[in-house]
This record gives sequence, C-alpha cells and structure tokens, in this order.
Amino acid sequence: MDFSIRAANVEDCKDIARMITELAEYEKVTDQVKITQRDLEQDGFSKNPFFHGIIAEVPEQHKSKEGDGKNTDSNRNKTTVASDKKWLYLCFLGKGIGKALMSKVAQVIGSGRGCHQLNFTVLDWNKSSVDFYLHQGCTDVTTDMGYHYMSCKGEAMEHLAQP
Amino acid sequence: MDFKIRPARKEDCKDVSRMIMELAVFENMPDQVKISHEELERDGFCQNPFFECLIAEVPEEHKSKDGFTVVGYALYFYTYSTWKGRSVYLEDLYVMPEFRGNGIGKGLLSKVAEVGKEKQCVRLNLSVLDWNTSAREFYAAKGAQNLTESEGWHSIRFDKLNMENLAKEAPKD
Repeated sequence: MDFSIRAANVEDCKDIARMITELAEYEKVTDQVKITQRDLEQDGFSKNPFFHGIIAEVPEQHKSKEGDGKNTDSNRNKTTVASDKKWLYLCFLGKGIGKALMSKVAQVIGSGRGCHQLNFTVLDWNKSSVDFYLHQGCTDVTTDMGYHYMSCKGEAMEHLAQP
Repeated sequence: MDFKIRPARKEDCKDVSRMIMELAVFENMPDQVKISHEELERDGFCQNPFFECLIAEVPEEHKSKDGFTVVGYALYFYTYSTWKGRSVYLEDLYVMPEFRGNGIGKGLLSKVAEVGKEKQCVRLNLSVLDWNTSAREFYAAKGAQNLTESEGWHSIRFDKLNMENLAKEAPKD
C-alpha cells in the first residue's frame, strides 16, 4: 500500500486528537484523556513546542472507511524522545507503516538532533506492541535492568510544589 | 543546615558532571556515563536547551570534605502526555551522602515540581531502580505512584546502535 510519512502541522491536530482517543479506547482508559485538539495546537506548534509529531498518510483512494486517510505517531521531548503512542487502523496494519514511523523518529532525533537514545513506555499486557518494539531491536529496561516508572500527579504534584 | 536551591549556570557543569559520575557509581554503572561537562554545557545552555538543572549549594563554612559547595542537583526536561498534556521528567536527583538528611533532596524535588507547575505541567515522571529501596520510599512518601507495579508500564529503550539501524530504514523525504 502506498503511504507517505511527513512532519505533522497544526492542521493535523484534529486527527491527532481523534486518534489519541481511539488509542485510549484500545488501552481501556478513555476517561484518562484530558487534553483537547486546542491543547495539542498550543503545545506542539508554539515557539518552544513540548512535542513534535510525524504523520503517516495514505492517498485518497486508500482512505479509511471513516473517510480520513491519516494516522499518527506522536513523539515528544528534545532529549531522549518518548514515543509510546502509535495507532494504526486495523486495515492499515501489516503494511510497514508502523516501522516507517519508528524509523523516521529515529532518523529525525538521531542524525537530525544528535540524540543517542530513544526511550518510551509500553504496557506489559500489550503483547503485539511489546513484540513489535523488541523486533525493532530495543531493550525492555524494566525487565532487564529493573527500572520502575514512577509518576507524581494531581494533588501529589500540587502538594510537592508548595514552597 | 543552611542551603540554597538555584538554577544551574554554565560554570556549574563541572560540578554536575562530578555528581553524575558519583550517582552512576552508586547505581553500579559508571561505564555507562559517556558525556562530560562539555556536553552538559553545550546541551543545557544553548538556544533550545535539552534540559534544565537546579543546584543545591551550601555556604563556604559547610563545604564538603573535598572542598565542594555544590552538593546536589536535579536535572529534568519537559515531555508530553497525549492523555494529560505537559509533563516534566526528572532524569536525576542526587545529594552527596555527607549532606543527606537535611531536606536538600526534598528541596530539589519540590523546586522541580514548582517549576513544572509554572509551566502548567500536570505530571512529574521519573524512573528508579527496583533495588534502590531508599529512593523508591523517598518518592513514594512524596506521593509518587509506581506505575510499573500498579499498571504494568515497562520502560523500553533503543540505544545508539539500534537507533542508527532503525534510522537507516526511514523512508526518503
């Protein structure tokens, strides 16, 4: 299947927001998604963006049944780039699009920005994702080295930020 | 003990580099440290810095046995959650052993959270080694949740070589 990979622009935020929600549905955590299209526009396309995005696009004749040919990978951060959200419609799986998105991220941050590591997180039950990433040559540093991922959020973070 | 938390300056990179190595030795991985103060100066103090850093400093009369007044640091950068939005990732938090127990670690952590809040960040994330009980307890006491244990999140990494291999297969523009 013919597809192209390109940098996301601000007009893509509507599609990105849609696909973030779809991915959250797959991960069974729809109620956790708090950001909107507007947040993505402000945070990804301002003077000092919080993230960068790469889009996979198919030609009009291959568009999804919902009528939109876009699917999205979001990568973020400038140092070690975290890229844990990749979502492809079922009909677009197996076409090399996921691999192409990952490769583009590696290229953009590697030769493009001089980064030496690509880090992200994946849910342990998400076997197809885990297998995909391991097949691309990455290491599970939680299993192999014992790193645990911790997060301070909501009230805990508010409390911590008190002087 | 009297101490001050302040943003790092370029001149602090030698001290930060020293303490990065001390932390790596503690974590039994000193051979993994590939950068020096020069990379820190380049990457932390350019136009689009890759990280920000806070320093803990003590007055001259309390300097360490080796003569250092810069006794702790917190190095962090901004990330993004597609669920929650702006986040901050704490890469390193370290206080020299002879200065622990004085609230310096808490001071650094709180300041990172405060800086993150000013930038409207809603999460503060970090990684900790499973055997590092004192660190795990320190963060848990401050309200951090262990998402590996509670939700099954695993940290995945591509190292430099695998990243380069992957990049070779990127589609041409």
